[in-house]
Amino acid sequence: MTSTLTCENLSKSYGGVAAVRDVGFTIAPGEAYGLLGPNGAGKTTTISMLVGLLKPDTGTVVVGGADLSADPMAAKAKIGYVPQEIALYPDLTGRENLRFFCRLFGLPRGEVRGRVEEVLDLVGLADRADAKLDTYSGGMKRRINIGAALLHRPELLILDEPTVGVDPQSRKSILDGLERLVADGMALLYTSHYMEEVERVCSRVAIIDHGSIVAEGTRHELVELVGGADRIELTLDGDVETAIDKLRGLGGVTEAVRTAAGSVRLIAEGGRYLLPSVIATVDGIAAVTAVEVVEPDLEATFLHLTGSTLRD
Amino acid sequence: MVRSLLTVSALELRTRVRDRTALIIAIIVPVAMATLFGVALGGDDPPLRATVGIVDLDGGEFPAGVRREIMASTELAGVLTLRDLPGREQAQSALDAGDIGAAIVFPAGFSASVGAGEGGQVGVLTSADTPLAGVVAGAVVDRISSLVRARTLAVRASLDAGVPAAEVKEFVERNGAAGPALTLENDPMAGGRVDLSVYYGAGMAALFAFFVVGASFRGLLIERKQGTLDRMRAGPIHGWVPIAGKAVVGFVLAMVSVCVTWASSVLIFGSTWGDPVAVFTLLLAHVLAATAITMLVASRARTDAQADGVIMVISFVAAFFGGSLVPLYTLPDVLQKIALFTPNAWTTTGLTGLAGSGAGLASVALPIGVLCAISAAAFGLAATGFRKGLLG
Repeated sequence: MTSTLTCENLSKSYGGVAAVRDVGFTIAPGEAYGLLGPNGAGKTTTISMLVGLLKPDTGTVVVGGADLSADPMAAKAKIGYVPQEIALYPDLTGRENLRFFCRLFGLPRGEVRGRVEEVLDLVGLADRADAKLDTYSGGMKRRINIGAALLHRPELLILDEPTVGVDPQSRKSILDGLERLVADGMALLYTSHYMEEVERVCSRVAIIDHGSIVAEGTRHELVELVGGADRIELTLDGDVETAIDKLRGLGGVTEAVRTAAGSVRLIAEGGRYLLPSVIATVDGIAAVTAVEVVEPDLEATFLHLTGSTLRD
Repeated sequence: MVRSLLTVSALELRTRVRDRTALIIAIIVPVAMATLFGVALGGDDPPLRATVGIVDLDGGEFPAGVRREIMASTELAGVLTLRDLPGREQAQSALDAGDIGAAIVFPAGFSASVGAGEGGQVGVLTSADTPLAGVVAGAVVDRISSLVRARTLAVRASLDAGVPAAEVKEFVERNGAAGPALTLENDPMAGGRVDLSVYYGAGMAALFAFFVVGASFRGLLIERKQGTLDRMRAGPIHGWVPIAGKAVVGFVLAMVSVCVTWASSVLIFGSTWGDPVAVFTLLLAHVLAATAITMLVASRARTDAQADGVIMVISFVAAFFGGSLVPLYTLPDVLQKIALFTPNAWTTTGLTGLAGSGAGLASVALPIGVLCAISAAAFGLAATGFRKGLLG
C-alpha cells in the first residue's frame, strides 16, 4: 500500500550537537502512528522537519507522493498541523479564526463558508462559533485548534500533545474525534505525554530517545521487547546491597538493580505470584516498607528502553 | 500567493485598527507633537529677527564695507538689526543679558592685514540661548571669510605679477576681486530660512514612521510566540507571506501617518511643504527605509519585547541625530556628519529644502537615492536574518 508519509534518514544538528539522528518511519492511510519520547528526545524537532518548519540536515520527507523539499506547497497541502500551543487568534471568534485559515490556505471562495461550518460541526463547536476564542474553555480551545488543521482536508494530521491541560470529558471527545478521522482514512502522527492515549489511538508506536528511534512496532511488539516480564518496585529498609544479591539468585528474577537509596527494581516473570518469595528472600536482611508490581505495558517498555518515565 | 498575502494583510489591518493604540501612534500623537513643536518654536523664522552686535576694533574700510553691504542687502533687510558695541567685553555682557543674539568682532588691524594679502580672522560670539542668531552671525562671518580669502588671493597674485604694493589695493578693487555682495546661504542644513512648523512636522513624521511600521513587525514576533506564525508556515503558503503581509500594512499605515502629519501642518499653520509630488516621494522613500530598518530589527530579535526596545532606541537615536527633535544646524559639526547615516536627516533636509526653495522632485533626488540605498541594504540584511532565524 502507498504510504501517506515516508520519512527517511532525518537528521538535524545544532552547533555540532545532534538533536535528531537518522530518524525514519512510514505511516499508511488510515493509520495512527504514535511518537513517544521524554522531553528533549527530539520529538518536536522531528515534527518541525515533517511540517516544513525546519530544514533537515539530511533525509527526505514525502507526503502523499509529494517531496517536501522539492515541492513544499504540494506536500504541505496534504498536512494538517496541530501545534502544542493554541495557535489561533484569541481576539477573533472561532468562526473568524477558521475563516482566516481557510482563506490563507487557498480554499476556493465558494467553499469557505461551507467548510468552516463542517469543521465547526466536526469539533462540536457550532453553538460557540461566534464567541471570541479567549472566552473558550481549555477543552474547546483544544478542539478548535485541531479543527483549524482540518480545514484544507489534509491526508495526514500531525498532532503535538493535543490534549495538554484538558479535562477528561474534553479529552474523551478529542480522542473519539480522532478515532473517527482515522476510521475515515486519515493518517495520524500523534505525540503525547499520556501513554494511555497513545495506546488507545495509535496502532503503531515509535519510541524516540536522544534523537534516535530506539524501538518501533505495534503495542504488542513493543511490550514483547521487555520479554513480557513484570516489574517489581521494592522499598527496603536495611542492608539493601545484600538483599539485591540474594534477590538475583531467586528463580524467575532476571534483573535486580538499585534505583535509589532504598529502592530496588526487579524484572521477573509472574511477578505477582513471586512476591511472597521475594519478601521471604530479604527477610532478616531488610524490611520491605513498600512494594509495587507493574505488569508489562507501553509505559514499562518505555521505561525499559529509555531509562526514564515519559513525564521526566 | 497574492490571496494569502492579502488575507494576512487584511487581518493585520483589522487588528491594528481595532487596537486603538495604533491609531494614537499613527495619527494623534505625531500630529499633536508636530503642532506643539510648531506652536512652541515655530511661526516666523527666528533668524529673520536676529539682533547682532558689531564690535569694530579695526575702524577700517573692511568692517565699514561689511556693514554697508548688510544694510543694503535686500535679502537681509529687516532680517538683521545691527548694534554697535565698543568692545568684546561689552558684547559678551550684552549677549549674556540677552540684548543681542550674537556678535561679530573685527580685530584691530583687520582691514590692513587683508589689504596686504595677509588674511585675517573675525571673531563670533554666540549664546546657547539664541542659536538661530548665532547661525545668522556665523553665516555672515562665513561670507566675510570667503571675501577675505578671495581678497588675499587676489592681492598675492597681483604682487607676484609685479603690481607695486602701493597700487595693489586699487588694482584689486578695480578688477572686481572683492567678491560679490554679502548674502545668507539658503541651505537649511546650515541654518538658512526654515519654517519651523514644517521642520518639526517633518521631524515628527519621520520619527513616528518608525513606531508605526515597527508595531507590525512586533506583531510578527507576537505571532511567533503564540504559535500562529508556525501554523501559517506549516500550511501551503510561501514562508515570506506572513512577513510581507505585515510589512505591507505597516508601510501603508506609516504612509497614512506621515501624510496626515503633512496635511495637519498645512491646515493648522498654513505651511507650505513644497512640491506635493516631491514631498510625497520623499516621504515614501523615508517610510520604505523605516520599514526596512524595523524589519531588520525584527529579523534579529528573539522576542517582541526585545524588538520593541531596539526599535524604540533606534527611532529616538535616528530622530535626535537626524534632526527630528532638534534642528540639525544647531548640532556640532561632528554630529551633523553622523546625521548623514540616519534616514531622518536626509528626509528632514530634503523636506525643509523643498519648503524653502519651491524646487521639484529633481532637487531631492539625492535624499531619495540615499533613502533607497539604506532601504536596500536593510532589506538585504533582514532577508538574511529571516532566512537564518524565523524561516530557518
